[in-house]
Amino acid sequence: MSRTVIIDPVTRLEGHGKITIMLDDGGAVENALFHVTQVRGFERFSEGRPYYEMPSLMARVCGICPVSHLLASAKACEAIMSVRIPHTAAQLRRVLNLAQLLQSHALSFFYLASPDLLLGMESDPTTRNVLGVAAATPVLGKAGVALRRIGQTIIELLSGKRIHTGWVVPGGVTEPLTAEKRDSILALLPEALRDTQMALAAYKQIADKFKQEIEVFANFPSNYLGMVDSDGSAVYTDGNLRLIDQAGYTIEDDISAIRVTQVFGEAVEPYSFTKFPYYKPLGYPDGCYRVGPLARLNIVANMGTDCADKELKEFKQLSKGPVESSFFYHHARLVEMLYAIEMIERIMADPKILDKHVKAAAGVNRLEGAGHAEAPRGVLHHHYKVDENGKIVWANLMIATGHNNYAMNRGVLQAARAYVKKGKFTEGALNRIQAVVRTFDPCLSCSTHAYGQMPLNVELLNSDGEIVDRLVQG
Amino acid sequence: MILACGNSLRGDDGAGPWLAGWAEERFHSNAGVRVIARMQWTPELAAEIAESNSVLFVDCAIDGTPGEVRISPVECAEDAGEIATHHNDAPHLLRLCRELYGVSPRSSLLLTVGAGSTELGEGFSTDVSSMMPEACRCIERIVLEALSGG
Repeated sequence: MSRTVIIDPVTRLEGHGKITIMLDDGGAVENALFHVTQVRGFERFSEGRPYYEMPSLMARVCGICPVSHLLASAKACEAIMSVRIPHTAAQLRRVLNLAQLLQSHALSFFYLASPDLLLGMESDPTTRNVLGVAAATPVLGKAGVALRRIGQTIIELLSGKRIHTGWVVPGGVTEPLTAEKRDSILALLPEALRDTQMALAAYKQIADKFKQEIEVFANFPSNYLGMVDSDGSAVYTDGNLRLIDQAGYTIEDDISAIRVTQVFGEAVEPYSFTKFPYYKPLGYPDGCYRVGPLARLNIVANMGTDCADKELKEFKQLSKGPVESSFFYHHARLVEMLYAIEMIERIMADPKILDKHVKAAAGVNRLEGAGHAEAPRGVLHHHYKVDENGKIVWANLMIATGHNNYAMNRGVLQAARAYVKKGKFTEGALNRIQAVVRTFDPCLSCSTHAYGQMPLNVELLNSDGEIVDRLVQG
Repeated sequence: MILACGNSLRGDDGAGPWLAGWAEERFHSNAGVRVIARMQWTPELAAEIAESNSVLFVDCAIDGTPGEVRISPVECAEDAGEIATHHNDAPHLLRLCRELYGVSPRSSLLLTVGAGSTELGEGFSTDVSSMMPEACRCIERIVLEALSGG
């Protein structure tokens, strides 16, 4: 008799998700799905609002990566204004984005992933958390806390608030940087660099213990999408997108924000509120791809900073072509943290960084605009249309977690087939299946732009995949 | 250190940040008093606690009588529990502080104000509004005692 196993909720994620595993009559895994059970409505309730409210409004999509929404939204507004922001404002925004990358990656690696990596996938689930990590390896626990705190402090020093700052506005930023704050930021970086290098060394020591997980954690050929500078180096705030194929060849390059909706479509599946973006010429699902740290490191030729470049070289030796196993998202995240610290230091040395001219003014000069930025989890895209008074008449958001949706589902199925045998599974096996999703560090609140505690839709499927019962809550 | 928690857009849940603002003003000239207000207590705050001799946690309580001001000692959590990325309670923050930094504050107290309403909106319910002066007096007394080594 066929059975359905439901893991609900999937733990140590940003947001609420559910996994359904469908077994056939013989107990083998027939299919597995990762559901995102939240629904929101930011695109709809922003209609009618003035465009200049959008950055602050859209930042409320997320408490972890509000900076990315601020930036993508402000850039979409600036496209509507047809304005180029001052150099110093652009530099300060880059620092803000990198500080967010640092704190978000620290949260993902140390708080969410390290319990599995440091304590083991089979370790006692009651202590398999950051407190367990703190007890087992206090040095790494302290490093995680320090790195998150440093990223958040830099955000606060720049923008006045740790989350949901109003500092980024269409046209630039509201306040210039002071010499005192610049020095405070610079003073934080040596500790951040030491802690990140220590974490990288620790990761490399333990990664070999996870050969089986590396083999089946969303380990398959795919396309990759990410932002890249014109010289092939890493860039996270101001650049265009590149899509590469499974062999690493460029499929489509120099994709500006306004072209995104021409190039990419968004498929929907009945089991998830998160959409499934795909590259239109290849169709759905062949045109699906991965984004985020793994994709970015697969795409770029170099990081553009000394320590991160050495690490990138080592990372690229993991595979002849693109690194395919999503387990290596963890590794890529640490390399990016190193880059963020080095690049913040470099930008702080810009002779114009204390310039007082940080905002350009303009009104509505176009009725449509789009902007994108690299969020910690991958490409984030905002696209708006306005009327002649600047009121939003249409908005569309494409979120990093959405871009990874298809790959996460394939990864869950791959891991479920590896770890669930003859209808039997252990707690460690179920943890591994969830850990596949954690490698992507999905932000489910972002991906659905959801609000509050979400309605839950539990479906029971028979061996033919037909829904035989459904429970809707909320 | 005064460590407050709450959301000023959720009615009486804003009691913590409001009291933090009051304490900031009351003790602004005293370098020995730090005030931190957050919408949620996150794990990074363990590092702030590790640097403090005494901690007064300030929050609203949804299980109390509306407006009731309660003060209770906070014990370090015995269970490992699940430290959340977004929100933790005071006992688990103390536990994380102890595990990571090997220290505990000499005194840890929790002051709560019973919430009447935490619906969306700014401002407090009548019960909570009327008891805020009492909550301020309690904070003042606790801080002055801590500063005098009491």
